[in-house]
Parts: sequence; structure tokens; C-alpha cells
Amino acid sequence: MVTGKINHTEILSVAEAGLSKTKQIYQDRTRRVKELKAEGKKVIGYLDIYPVLEMLTALDLVPYRILGDMREPITKADTCLPTVVCPFLRSVMDLGLKGKYNFLDGVVMAHGCEVSEKTAHIWRTYLNPSYAHFIDTPHTTHAAAQRQHKELLKDFKRTLESFTGKELSIEKLKEAIKIHNEQRALVRELYDLKKPDPPLISGVETLQVMVALASLPVAEGNELLRQVISEVKQRKDGPAKKPARLLVWGSIIDDIALIDMMESIGADVVMDDTVLGSRAYFSPVALTADPLDGLAHRYLVELKSPRTFRETVLSETKRKDYMTDLENRFGYLKDYAREWKVNGVILQALRYCDIHGYEVPGLKDYLASIGLPSIYLEHDYSEAALAQLRTRVQAFLEVIS
Amino acid sequence: MADGEKKRAINRLKTMYPLRALVDGMYERAVEASKEGKPVAWCMVNWWGGDAVLRAMEVAAIYPEDYGAVCAAFGTAPTYLAQSDSDGFPSHMCGYARNCLGYAARMKDLGEIPPEAPMGGMPKPTLLLSSGYFCDTRYKWFQALGRYLDAPVWVLEMPHPGVKESRMEGVREHNIKFLVEELREFIAFLENLLGKKMDRDRLAEIIDDTIEMNRVWHEVNELRKARPCPMHSRDFWSSMPASLYMAADPKVTADLYRQMYDEAKSMVDNHIGAVEEEKYRLAFAELPPWHSLGFFNQLAERGWNFVIESWAYHPPKPIDLSKVSDPLERVANLTYQYFSGYFEDAFNTGDWWGYFAHPYLEFVREYQCDGIMLHPLLTCRTATNHLMVVQDQLMTKLKVPSLIIEGDIVDLNLFDPADALRKAETFEETMSHYQKVRKEAGLAW
Repeated sequence: MVTGKINHTEILSVAEAGLSKTKQIYQDRTRRVKELKAEGKKVIGYLDIYPVLEMLTALDLVPYRILGDMREPITKADTCLPTVVCPFLRSVMDLGLKGKYNFLDGVVMAHGCEVSEKTAHIWRTYLNPSYAHFIDTPHTTHAAAQRQHKELLKDFKRTLESFTGKELSIEKLKEAIKIHNEQRALVRELYDLKKPDPPLISGVETLQVMVALASLPVAEGNELLRQVISEVKQRKDGPAKKPARLLVWGSIIDDIALIDMMESIGADVVMDDTVLGSRAYFSPVALTADPLDGLAHRYLVELKSPRTFRETVLSETKRKDYMTDLENRFGYLKDYAREWKVNGVILQALRYCDIHGYEVPGLKDYLASIGLPSIYLEHDYSEAALAQLRTRVQAFLEVIS
Repeated sequence: MADGEKKRAINRLKTMYPLRALVDGMYERAVEASKEGKPVAWCMVNWWGGDAVLRAMEVAAIYPEDYGAVCAAFGTAPTYLAQSDSDGFPSHMCGYARNCLGYAARMKDLGEIPPEAPMGGMPKPTLLLSSGYFCDTRYKWFQALGRYLDAPVWVLEMPHPGVKESRMEGVREHNIKFLVEELREFIAFLENLLGKKMDRDRLAEIIDDTIEMNRVWHEVNELRKARPCPMHSRDFWSSMPASLYMAADPKVTADLYRQMYDEAKSMVDNHIGAVEEEKYRLAFAELPPWHSLGFFNQLAERGWNFVIESWAYHPPKPIDLSKVSDPLERVANLTYQYFSGYFEDAFNTGDWWGYFAHPYLEFVREYQCDGIMLHPLLTCRTATNHLMVVQDQLMTKLKVPSLIIEGDIVDLNLFDPADALRKAETFEETMSHYQKVRKEAGLAW
């Protein structure tokens, strides 16, 4: 079903609405998609933010984001991914090998980063899904790269049509774009609730919502967002005012533990720039005559991620100015900081995450230039490291508060 | 051999030395060019298209990836690594990149090439030519150099065609088109930056010479299938940069590879091996510990001959381009052949992950290896991701065992040669065991 309006009885088979429902989905992500699967729907797993979900929705496929589980020890993935690569992707592969994603009817993965590209192929080889597609997302916004990206989406369309036996029509795709854009607008509205001081919704609750959205068909996610927004606006027992208002930047965070730790020691996480948070939702798709044009542009050019290279316009002497380059790459964070009244930034990256690692000194330079204190945390996607991180965050909060 | 002179464990090819000198000399040539006010580019390996354009535009090209190996071999890398670490770049990142970032930081502080820089150092660049192929580091590193250099960066895009999707109808065509369009955009960028037009006839000539250079270099490596193998991996590693980095005019390089072919052919005809008594034939994956290459001499003394290395540093398999007239299309096809030519076997067996690991099966079978040394690099995802699959497939399909020696290409502290040698001694028994197993299984070696 591709529509922005759904009947309340159609959605989740749990009684509560809003935040409590969100929490339930967070704790049992697969419940709803397994119900849908039992009804005959096909569920397609996807990794990262580069697979074009509108194309799945338009064909009545249910997109389901593949996440890791930092609370589950990695015991199987060592056979196919070494220890010196992203621990999140090792966890993802581990869960796959343990059969935790056996309910998926297929997967779509993209070149979100080098290791995710390899994970796409390893997944296909070791788990042999009945449908798998890899999108070789380019790395720049060159005109040639944008044309290539559109060609890649045409290839994706062909394999989807072959898999479903249906034609992916322009009309269906346009409808899907609208409903996904609706979700993006609702997420913006949700994040607006974090602007007041104190914020109306905590960082932990926000992350639970985002995980829930990644576990539901888009229409159901939109309905859930409406319920959450309505509930949060009305409730009287929201987060307390705290001295630190943090922006968290970096690698994926799909477990509340890290945010919970920060919020338990005197901070409100009021904004993020991560792939399960604002980075995934803040850029809408332009409605173009050929919808693939808008999709190709959004998923390559509009998504703000360090994995896509953007060169700065050169000076008159044809040299590159460092601070201009930083403004070009990170200027949106200044806007976030101003709008969400941020007074400190946590840069966090998973160990072995090159995409984010290379950004750290430059981003710290940029934040310092706009008067925002920051700290860099590196972690290995496990609960065990939290105690040490807690001490460092505590010290940082003392400085900024 | 003079009386009392110790016999070398590895017979080094005499024709290797001028090839190595060609690469070593590119740094001094770039320094000279810089002094004369000519443009200099720091480049990532880009599989010939970008190199050819730069050469046609008379830009002196040098390669910080190679310079990482140089600094490791000369012992200056620790200074640069420490500088990178203190500037806040995570220490788990690529050793080549950290070496270069540290070098650039030091050059910025001093206002000149650091005095300790080996081979004359790398002069300040006019531009940085990056690449989107293989790993994230190869464009993020050059972007991060903006902290120390005001040179613009151009990322030359390349597809990753070694996957199932690349076999779909029309995909090869749009990938080649993408490569050509990327080169055209790069040429436009370069013409604007340098304020001059490119000589397209010269470009066509360089591209033709590059195709021929790679063909000859491929033929040299084919000779290594002989028993005993005439060329050890140490000679390969010394010779490969001349092709991989386009260190000089490819016409000159092709002539040197022809001389190498003649020498290796003579050794094959006379049954002379790179190692005196070739007991074990080995493959090596991926990049070696540049700081500790003497380790291979110790293994050679035990009869270990390294006869083949990872496909990623080899030239593309020869391809007929006689029907492709446009020079950019010719070089795009050459690049694409490098990206896909080694994977045909993987495609045919539906081994999609094997697109990266599968060439080892082919190499180990064709070069009749008794074992493979896997060198997981603690700072390199690209060189490490697939090694477990390589190990698994070689044992499952060919009964060839793997020796895993962890280390790093640049960081000496991450490699323990004594421990590696102990493991190697034990591995000989394993190789001998599997020689019998393969014989019983009816395999050819």
C-alpha cells in the first residue's frame, strides 16, 4: 500500500500509542514485519542510508533496516570479517550468520563505505538471499557521477521488477516519494521538539523513535510519528533542564546505551548528525518529472555524509582555503548548533571507521572556529567500553557547563 | 662471487634495478620541476587514465602511497606517524595516509621539504589527484590534507564493477561511459587550473604506450609460472611501481620491462630460479612489510620462493583494444579490464564475494603454490577484508594452506619478524602435509 493515510486498526498489533509503542518496537524490532510477512508481504533488508527506499515502497515491498546488536557477543562473524574492520558491520554479519535476519526476503545494500560494500558481497555469498542488489553509489557529486547514479538506479529498478514481477511505474514512484518525504517532514517536526530548553523529548526517546521508524513500513512509521509528536507536545513529564545541550556527530548509534550514559550525567542530547538520526531524514527528495532524477540527486548530492566528497570552490588564485573548505563541509552543523542551542559537541566514531576518522581534526578545527567545544570518542560498539567513555564525557561536561 | 662474499639468498634480477631507479628518481625530478615553477601533482594510484592526462599536460606526478613505502624502508616513517597521531588522526587509519599527513604537517611547519625526507622528499603540490576506487582512505586522506596544503583535490571516480550487477546487460557500457566522462571532467578541471590546453595527440601516444607497457609487464609475470620461478616477489615489488605509478614515460618503462622479460626468459630456459633450491612456492597477499623486507631473505635461505602476489598490484590481463579508436575510451577500457578481468572465474562460478578473493584461487592454481602468506594489515581494511575468505577458499577448493602474519606496511611496531619466522618454520610441515593431500586428491601439483 502506497498512501499517506492509513487506518489506525491496520497498524501495530500493540495497544498503546506513541512513546510506549515506540519503546516496544525498539525492544522487539522484528515483530511487526514478521506479522506483515505472515500476511504475504515481502520484507527487504537494507543497510545504511544509500539504498533508495522509495523504490521498495513503490513496489509494496517493506523496507527493514539491518542493524547490529552491541549487546550480543560476536561469535560467528570472525569466519568472514576480520577484527580490524567496523565492529558494527561485524555485528551485522554476525547476526546474519546466526539466522537473526532469516525472515528477510531479500537485501539491498550500497557503497556506503568500503567495508559496507564488502559486507554486501559477503552477505550474498554466505547467506544466499533470494534477492540481493548492490548499488555502487559514486563518491563525488561530479556531473558524470550524478548521471552514473541514475543509471545505477535504473539497474536497481530492473532487478526489483524482475524479483516482484511488477512494473515500477512513474506514478507509483512519485506516490512513494511523497510518503517518504512526509516522513522526513515529520522527523523534522519531531526534532523541532528538542529545540526548547529543556527539550520536550530526550535523546534516548528520539533514538527509540528512529529505530522504530527503521523497523516499520513508511506509512505506519508516519502514523507513529504523528502519535509521538502529539503525545510529546501534551505531556508534562518531559526531560529536565540540564546544563549541557549536546550535538552528537559521527558513526551509527543504534543502541540507546551511549546516549543514555550522556543524559544520565547532566546532558541533554538535543541534536545529532548520525545515520540513524537527522542525517538520514533531513534532506527531502525533489519531485521531478522523471522521479529517478530527484532520487539520484537526493541520495548522492543532498545527503550530507562524509563518505561523499565535495570539493570547495577555489579562490581567485585557484588555491583552496582551509576554513572555506571546512565551512563548505560542516557549515550545516553551525546551523544545527544555533537552532538547537547546542553548547558542546561529542564527536564519536566506531573504531576502524575511516570515513569519520579522517574528519576528526578538521571538524574539531571548525567547531573551535565557531566557539563550540568538542571531544572525540572512539569506541568499539560494545557496552564494556561505556565506563571509560563515561569518565571522559563527565570531564567534558564539567568544562562546558 | 668474490672469495668470502656471502652468497645472496635471492637471485635478484639485474633488470630490476633500472626500473626501481626510475621510480626512485621521480621524487628528485618532481623537486626539480617544482623549482622550475612547473606544476606538481600528488597522486593516488589511478590505473593510468589520470596519469596519462597529467603526463600529457606536463605535470610532474608523485605518489604518496609509494612514498609511504619509501619512508618505511628508510626509517623516517615513525616521525611522520607520530606527527599525525599528535594532530588527532586516529592511529588505526592507513599507515601510508598517516605518514603523508605527518609529512605534510611537518613541511607546513618548516615551510620547506623536511631535511630528513628520503629521496629528496615530495615538493609542495599544485594539485592532488585522488581516486574513488578501492578504499575510502584514498579520497578522505587527500581531503584531510587541506589542513596543511592549499592544493585543490580532484577525485577521479571509478566504478566497482566486480559484482553480480556488473554482468547485467548494458552495465559495462555505462561504466565505461562513466570512466570516460570522468576523465573529460578531469581534463576540463586541469585545463582551467593550469590555464592551458591539453595536447590530445600526445595524450593518445601516452595511452598507447601505457597499454603496451602493461602488456609486456604481464608477459614478464607469466614467465614466473616456470619451475623454478625466475623472479621473487621482492623483485616484483621493486618493479611494479614503474607501471602502477607511471613513474616515467611509459615508452621508456616498456623498454625496461622488455629487458626484464629477456633476462627472466633466459633464466627459465636455463632452469635458474630466484631461490637456489626452490622447496616451497608461495603466494603473498597483500602488501608486504616494507620496513622488514630482509625477512624474505631468511625465508629464501630455507627454500621459500614467493612466485606470485595479489592481483591488485599486477597489470590488467591483456585485452584487444584495436577496435577502440578514442584514446580516452581506450584507457577507460584498460582500467575497466584491470577492475574486472581477474574476476571472470568468480563470475562464472557465481562467487560474488570472490570477486575480490577469487583471483588468488586462479593464481595459486596456475603458479602451483604450496602455500600463501597472508599479511593482514592492522591499518588497512582493503588489504585485510577478504583474507579470511581467501584462506577458506584456498583450503576448501585447492588444499593449499595459509600462513597468517599480522603487521603493517609502514608501522614497524606492528610487525614482529622473529615471531613470524618461528611461525614460518612450523608452516613448512603444514605445506609438506598438503603437498601429499593434493597429490592424493589428484591435483596437478
